[in-house]
Amino acid sequence: MSAAQGELLTVDGVVAGYGAAEQILKGTSLKVAPGEIVSIIGPNGAGKSTLLKTIAGLVQARDGTIRLKGGDVTRENALGRAKAGIGFVPQERNVFGAMTVAENLEISGFQEPGKVGARAEELYARYPMLAEKRKALARTLSGGQRQILAMAMGLMNAPALLLLDEPTAGLSPKAADELFDAIVALNKGGLPILMVEQHALEALQISTRGYVLVSGRNSREGAGPALATDPEIRRLFLGG
Amino acid sequence: MSQLLQALINGVMTGTLIAVPAIGFSAIFAVLRYPNFAIAAYATIGAFAAWWANVAMGLPIPAALLVAFAVTGFVGVVAEETSLKRLRGNGALIVAIASIALNLVLENIVRFIFGNEMRGYDLPIARDMRFGDLRIGPQQLQSLLLAVAIMAAMFLFLRYTRFGKAMRAVADNPDLARLKGIDPAKIAIVTLFLGAGLTGVGGVLIGLDTSIDPLTGYRVLLSVFAAAVLGGLGSIPGAVAGALMLGIAEELALLVVPATYRTGVGFVAILLMLTFRPRGLLGERAA
Repeated sequence: MSAAQGELLTVDGVVAGYGAAEQILKGTSLKVAPGEIVSIIGPNGAGKSTLLKTIAGLVQARDGTIRLKGGDVTRENALGRAKAGIGFVPQERNVFGAMTVAENLEISGFQEPGKVGARAEELYARYPMLAEKRKALARTLSGGQRQILAMAMGLMNAPALLLLDEPTAGLSPKAADELFDAIVALNKGGLPILMVEQHALEALQISTRGYVLVSGRNSREGAGPALATDPEIRRLFLGG
Repeated sequence: MSQLLQALINGVMTGTLIAVPAIGFSAIFAVLRYPNFAIAAYATIGAFAAWWANVAMGLPIPAALLVAFAVTGFVGVVAEETSLKRLRGNGALIVAIASIALNLVLENIVRFIFGNEMRGYDLPIARDMRFGDLRIGPQQLQSLLLAVAIMAAMFLFLRYTRFGKAMRAVADNPDLARLKGIDPAKIAIVTLFLGAGLTGVGGVLIGLDTSIDPLTGYRVLLSVFAAAVLGGLGSIPGAVAGALMLGIAEELALLVVPATYRTGVGFVAILLMLTFRPRGLLGERAA
């Protein structure tokens, strides 16, 4: 077992991209330990979302390894990674718009139909808005409500690790703050979270650790709040 | 006035019969994202499978419908797995063209086995029911009720069963469905079985109204396609709405134009819908 003791997710030297020749990730590495919130920040085109998609199995790694709980999942497809315990909430088209909130939750627990009812009830209790809107079509929800639903859908399979791709994109500042609160609450319940965020400062402030990605390579890493106050990071990425 | 009412009744009857294969066509499109024109052959195969069950084996029509559903569903899955599936990576247009070729092959296999002559089901002869000046054939009424029951069953399946919801999820967003642990390839097989099976049942219902021959499905292909386009490709409620609209439009058109122009109504309907509302009545995306 080459994964460091205690690591939940280990990404080591991953190379990946979309076209035959195009490489977005050029040897990216990161780790997530149990209980952590880890943020990936970086300029546009750095490969942040591609990294999450590669971990989720939507983009196949050409080189490097991805290990979850010590097991090599590099060659698993998205279905295999979902079964292995990786929950991924995409940035866009992350709910089934033509289905109701209740159906979205139910279908997200497709792998374990016997547990769907109890898990959905837990999520209704955690997010009362979903209970109120359970019969509404997902496409009728506001941006913030939709992100909560998408996150709740990511929880229906009881993942070992939740990946969030720009969860606050397109949200109002108030809705974004509420979503960050929801992410922290979720993590306090014991769920490790790896997220990519454009609102880098806010994300780093709630993160245990952060990685800075530039042109598909690791640039910096460190404790989240420390990175958030690092003058160079602020100047480079946050305009501060 | 009674002529108009009769045309409306006939239109609803025709539309309901078209709706069944149109649901099959739309379900396949929703999940696999290509128009499968081999449904014409599936309708024919269903009609002949039911004929064999009804006339050769002496089974009643409801049992023959089940045979048609199972046989056509099986043929649909095998045809997809052995021919169309490998072309999917080349885009919807290529698969659609290949499905036309598949249709010709299947249609001629039916022709080879059963010959070209017209065949009829073993049905009791009954007089039309009269309501004043209006007439309704008992067989038409039975077919209408069967079609409504089949549509209701399909809606209940899609709304309340795990696989039905998974089908809708894959149709809505296949990438997200995959992330949720749903295998789109398995759902595609279930959808093909259901879609082809329903089309086969539609072929029987159409055959019950008249007679069957190897071109039974081909004759209604345009109407089925037009119904699906009118309703919004991939929308199952849309396919039903589109079929009813088309059925009524065809029958009303017969009041003012000769019967030979009946199929022209389908072309005009497609043209108007694609011009003014490309996503159809209930479609989510541009058709």
